[in-house]
Amino acid sequence: MAEDDVKIVMFCCNWCSYGGADTAGTSRMQYPPNIRVIRVMCSGRIEPQFVLKAFREGADGVIVAGCHHGDCHYDAGNYKLDRRMRLVYKLAEDMGIGKERIYHDWISASEGEKFADTVKMMVTRIKELGSAPLKEQLDAEA
Amino acid sequence: MVEKAKIGTMWLGGCSGCHLSIADFHESLLDVMELADFEFSPVLMDTKYDEVPELDVLIVEGGIRNEENRELAEELREKANFVISYGTCAAYGGIPGLGNLHTVEELEKEAYINSPSTPNEEGIIPNEDVPALESRVRPLNEAIDVDLVVPGCPPRSDVVAEAVIALLKGETVELPTTNLCDVCPREKPPEGLAMDVIKRQFEIGKPEDDLCLIPQGLICMGPATISLCGAECPSIAIQCRGCYGPTSKVMDQGAKMISAIASDYGIEEDKTIDPEQVADQLDDIVGTFYTYTLPAALIPAKMQKGGK
Ligand code: FES
Repeated sequence: MAEDDVKIVMFCCNWCSYGGADTAGTSRMQYPPNIRVIRVMCSGRIEPQFVLKAFREGADGVIVAGCHHGDCHYDAGNYKLDRRMRLVYKLAEDMGIGKERIYHDWISASEGEKFADTVKMMVTRIKELGSAPLKEQLDAEA
Repeated sequence: MVEKAKIGTMWLGGCSGCHLSIADFHESLLDVMELADFEFSPVLMDTKYDEVPELDVLIVEGGIRNEENRELAEELREKANFVISYGTCAAYGGIPGLGNLHTVEELEKEAYINSPSTPNEEGIIPNEDVPALESRVRPLNEAIDVDLVVPGCPPRSDVVAEAVIALLKGETVELPTTNLCDVCPREKPPEGLAMDVIKRQFEIGKPEDDLCLIPQGLICMGPATISLCGAECPSIAIQCRGCYGPTSKVMDQGAKMISAIASDYGIEEDKTIDPEQVADQLDDIVGTFYTYTLPAALIPAKMQKGGK
């Protein structure tokens, strides 16, 4: 698919990853514009429902980013997210979405470069995979 | 004498178990009959689909599995004033909904050719005189408008009787908004839920009395399930499988439960436990968490192009 059509929803926790996005911005790093960032207070707030909803509404990929282990502002939200995402990958495989379309990682507020690299990596990956089949298939049936 | 209301019942893609729940009204049947008559019910009487009377209340069991289901649902909707989507299959697709993990071709092959109890040497898949399967199972409300949803597999007779009587008296019917844990008699540990192993019922034998089943290693769907049933299963030491579907605050029952189990698992060693461990212990994610609600889930069917 064309790079312009790639749609990625990215969840960032307020205290680290969103700061990472800021750092990438203020230091004028270049990264593709295909992401829609949704800020949540902590990655521990991100439920599998959010990830699935993103696909339902037409996202081609989802990135979830939180603080590094040990850095979570609320102590351990990111550990819980970590376990949750392992189940989400499995579910995505079973439902034919493919686990490659989902990615979670830890990005601190100073890691603007890691933020930009993560986005670049996912955009390339999704471009190769093509658009997510869910919305297409449901729309075609309706 | 005031004129009695006309009730109709219908079965679509279900197992007729929900109708048994109506047959099981017991004495409340008398209360219902005082206010209404059953005018149309393929389960109870001889009915003709081209002679459907005008109905005040129509109770529909089962989801939309094939073309006939859809046609009948649409036809009956026109005749009925008020439609109750009755039982989990009508409300969320139910167990037949797990068929959404396969294509129609796969399902037909399994049913007509591979199944050992079906001798079919020529490998014929019937396509005349049987309604064609739709691409996937859908809850009733994706085919027609429904006015009330009463879930359950099957719904408890007293719950339905109460709802029907209230409706006939012109009262509004409201479902509880709380989850099962709210009404479950088992005690939750005061320090919060924590599980360190996932087991199946036969592996643990008889669970400890009075203690919540989740810390004992069972996946109890209570946290994401509506409290309509009164926690019957957990009170007799069987984990909830979520047959009444989610509460109104939950979008996707399975995903909500995945969230709960993954968070509770190993919470005491939050920072040292291998995050992969919980996923390793669950082989059948869809079968465990979406037993009853796959067609109503955010991802309602397996995507067939392999995600490509
Ligand atoms: S605050 Fe960043 S992960 Fe919890």
